[in-house]
Amino acid sequence: MMRVAQWVSSGAGVVRCVAVFACAAFALSCSNSPYPDRDDDVKILYSVYGEAPKTLDPAVSYNVSSSRIISAICETLLEYHYLKRPYELIPGLAAAIPEPVERADGTVAYPFALREGAMYQDDPAFELGEVGRKTRPVVTADYLFALKRLADPAVNSPVAHIFSKIVGLHAFGERLVERRKEPSFAALPLHEQYEAVGPVEGLVAQGDYAFEVVIDAPYPQMLYWFAMPFTTAVPWEAIAYYDGNEGRPRFADHPVGAGPFRMTHYDKQFRIVLERNPNWYGAMYPEWKAPGAVYPAEGEPADLEKGITSDALAGRQLPFLDRVEFRREKESIPVFNKFLQGYYDKSGINKESFDKVMDGNQLSEDMAAMGIQLDRVVDLAIYYIAFNQADETLGAPAGERGKKLRQAMSLAIDAEEYIELFHNGRGIPAQSVLPPGLFGYDADYRNAYREPDLARARALLEEAGYPEGVDSETGSPLKLRFDTYATNSAQLIPIRYLVDSWRKLGLDVEVESTTYNKFQEKVFNKAHQIFQWGWVADYPDPENFLFLLSSGMAGPGGPNSSNYRNPEYDALFDAMKARPNDEVRAETIREMLSLLEEERVWIELLYRESFVLFHDWISHYKPPGFEFSTLKYQDIDAQARAEWRRENNKPVLWPAYVLLAISIAVIVPGIVTLIRERQ
Amino acid sequence: MEAWVISNIVTSLLLVSSVLVVLAVRRSRMWSEAMGSLWKRRPIAIGVVAFYLAIGILDSIYWVGGINAGEDVVSAHEAKSVIDRLFADSRERSYSAPLADVEFYGSAPLENPGWHLMGTDLIGRDVVYLAMKGVRVALLIGGLTSLIAIPLSLLFGISAGYFGGRVDDVVFFVMSTLASMPTLLLLIALIMAMGRSTVSICIALAVTSWVGFCRLVRGETLKLREQDYVQAARALGVSELQIILRHILPNLAHLVIITFVLTFSGLVLSEAVLAWLGVGVDGSWGQMIDQARSELSRDPVVWWNIAAAGLSLFGLLLAVNMVGDAIRDILDPRTLRESP
Repeated sequence: MMRVAQWVSSGAGVVRCVAVFACAAFALSCSNSPYPDRDDDVKILYSVYGEAPKTLDPAVSYNVSSSRIISAICETLLEYHYLKRPYELIPGLAAAIPEPVERADGTVAYPFALREGAMYQDDPAFELGEVGRKTRPVVTADYLFALKRLADPAVNSPVAHIFSKIVGLHAFGERLVERRKEPSFAALPLHEQYEAVGPVEGLVAQGDYAFEVVIDAPYPQMLYWFAMPFTTAVPWEAIAYYDGNEGRPRFADHPVGAGPFRMTHYDKQFRIVLERNPNWYGAMYPEWKAPGAVYPAEGEPADLEKGITSDALAGRQLPFLDRVEFRREKESIPVFNKFLQGYYDKSGINKESFDKVMDGNQLSEDMAAMGIQLDRVVDLAIYYIAFNQADETLGAPAGERGKKLRQAMSLAIDAEEYIELFHNGRGIPAQSVLPPGLFGYDADYRNAYREPDLARARALLEEAGYPEGVDSETGSPLKLRFDTYATNSAQLIPIRYLVDSWRKLGLDVEVESTTYNKFQEKVFNKAHQIFQWGWVADYPDPENFLFLLSSGMAGPGGPNSSNYRNPEYDALFDAMKARPNDEVRAETIREMLSLLEEERVWIELLYRESFVLFHDWISHYKPPGFEFSTLKYQDIDAQARAEWRRENNKPVLWPAYVLLAISIAVIVPGIVTLIRERQ
Repeated sequence: MEAWVISNIVTSLLLVSSVLVVLAVRRSRMWSEAMGSLWKRRPIAIGVVAFYLAIGILDSIYWVGGINAGEDVVSAHEAKSVIDRLFADSRERSYSAPLADVEFYGSAPLENPGWHLMGTDLIGRDVVYLAMKGVRVALLIGGLTSLIAIPLSLLFGISAGYFGGRVDDVVFFVMSTLASMPTLLLLIALIMAMGRSTVSICIALAVTSWVGFCRLVRGETLKLREQDYVQAARALGVSELQIILRHILPNLAHLVIITFVLTFSGLVLSEAVLAWLGVGVDGSWGQMIDQARSELSRDPVVWWNIAAAGLSLFGLLLAVNMVGDAIRDILDPRTLRESP
């Protein structure tokens, strides 16, 4: 206190004090950039994630935000064509898409040939194999190791049941558990354990660069699983080295792969940075012109207009970006604001800002003037209301009565209004189980029970024996239950809306909201009645949606949580599953859909449409309708971005000056008084 | 028995007992004088409280049938309160601004143009109606919780203060234990354990709020038991129960009334906090505010939901607090001496 008083009591002190304030005010208002580094010349894409990834282990991770990162780091055997719709597979690290070979005993073999010479990213883990070695080629053994990991109960992969189709893989897992009971065996490194347990019949190595995967029965969708990070090559060194001991991270926090990017910074609560991987096969062997390593020449017709495909682009070497920065943002509003300031390159539209961003069906003039562009894509997903078929009133036990009741309830729900109220109109009223973009989707198909028609609904209700919602047998009003795990009152409003729609028919549906655990328990015990659910595609095949209603998937914990069991449907499903995409398959799917149309196991509600906003310094970006990595195809113009940011983030200095003036006005008299009193 | 029948019975019992209380107050000179001066001090606040009470009562009287059901067929055979009936046909499709003729988004005409004083919410419910439905919930939370908490604190406070010794030790131990637990966590844990219903939330609130008053009662009883008239009664051989009922309890009456009024507002506010955490009572103002949370960041802003709930909450709490302060001034012997 004394020192300050002495300092300001001299005339020079006052000047200095003001100068400090002025500098501080100026410095504070000069820039709002959240990034410390200059990035005018480096191609950095800034992106966001909400939840910190639980694991980046490719065998385990099964959620959107982490699979985005993993699929950039780990190269898969197959991948999706960036532009073509319907979605198409192209070879990645596999030299070609394998042709399945059906064998006499009913098994099917997939012969994979690898690209010879593809290397992993540089990583200290590779010193385990040979001192001084930074990397090594990707070989057959790595794939077999990765596939065996999926069956290892200790790894706990969520897709283990899919891969148990591989002959002998399940038995391998069981043998492994048996052997691990010996402590000396359990202490061995993982790859030695696998070796000791013995080979898997369905995984046949054919030299260092070829292998065969044999599955027990025809399953044409199997190939899609080789386009997912679950089946990426995993080097045994990485597993052995990254064990969480002696300051080394766990493998789940430090994936090692052969992809176009590698992770250089991982602070999962704040920031994840990927950088271009110089060892990627596309970068090391540009002369290969591998389909996954160059920009595609063909796309949809509309892509040509948008400039997503052009002669100049076709065949250019990937990736374009030098670095990808993922930053964690917990709230949606700051993301959008930073996007508007140019600090994020892409953004969704949150519900609150929708009316500011959109003007009817188009971008508002303000947004267009800022050079912001909009792309929309219908997600490969369906959101629906489902009835538990094991229920006495609504399900199969109620027979024809229950079916009429379900049909009436389906006719009361106005999906278009629902989308408008709760999704800002971002969605398409669903007519069937299959969303657009899948084989078997028919844009002209109209479901007879998915146009709201109260008069018909009332008539059906009367036929079912519930005129105006009153049971004509007992004379008491029908009471139904909507089970949900939404407890937040804002989430309950859409459910309120659905329930109110049924009230128009006279149906009294009570909302029972419990914790998620209790809800799951109800589903497990088949004690639920009406519920709302969604399904997002794993791969672009109708099988991935239609299987949700097959009786093989019913039962405790299975994905057929509506417990629908219909032999006729199952027979059609089995026939459809094994067919290639031909007219017979289309016809089978049509039959299945018309069966579901009558049965009303689900009330198909909507296909969600994602709106993606992006700045015009991003070039040739095409949003995918489901999760696959497109990072290597995107490009940005860093200089244009820097320019735009400067232009649109001019500091507003007057509040700082006003503040400065006020503080001077307050401080100076104080100092004057102080000086006077001291004298 | 169905809930609405119970509600009717309880409401009529409350009305009857309040008439009895008014009669009793009129007979006692002290109380009628006190009430008279209360009315003189705070006529507006009392009017506001009475208005809320009237709405709460109108929303607690149910009967079945005789309703213009409109689109909602179920309501024809459901018990509906007077307030429900007033707003029976007020449903719109979605948001509309206060007193608007058209919807807020797009401009489809409303069913009841210019009728919605505070507009409508996301699924077209009249906001005044929702706010009025919140009154009963608020009164229920405040009233029911106090009805559980106050007898509890009187029982434990008087026995601890009057009997002292072991009883005092036990009661004080329980009180310190409860007081040392974080209130909000305890509340949420209790609600999770008992299930999320109005009654269980009231019980949880009561469990966490009785301690303060209990401490007050204990202190006051400690003082009262040393008074000459209590000593005299004891010397004459009057039983302990008689002494408590005749000498201790009546002398705590003013404390009970003051505490009731003041904790009431605290409880209504606590529920709003709980609603924000997702464990509130259905239809409360807290829940309305919680639902409307993201509406404030809409552009253009939808303010009427949160404004209606906030104003209703504010109005009730302000009026109750003002009446409470006045009651304290009038009844508390310490302030009585100072006031003119």
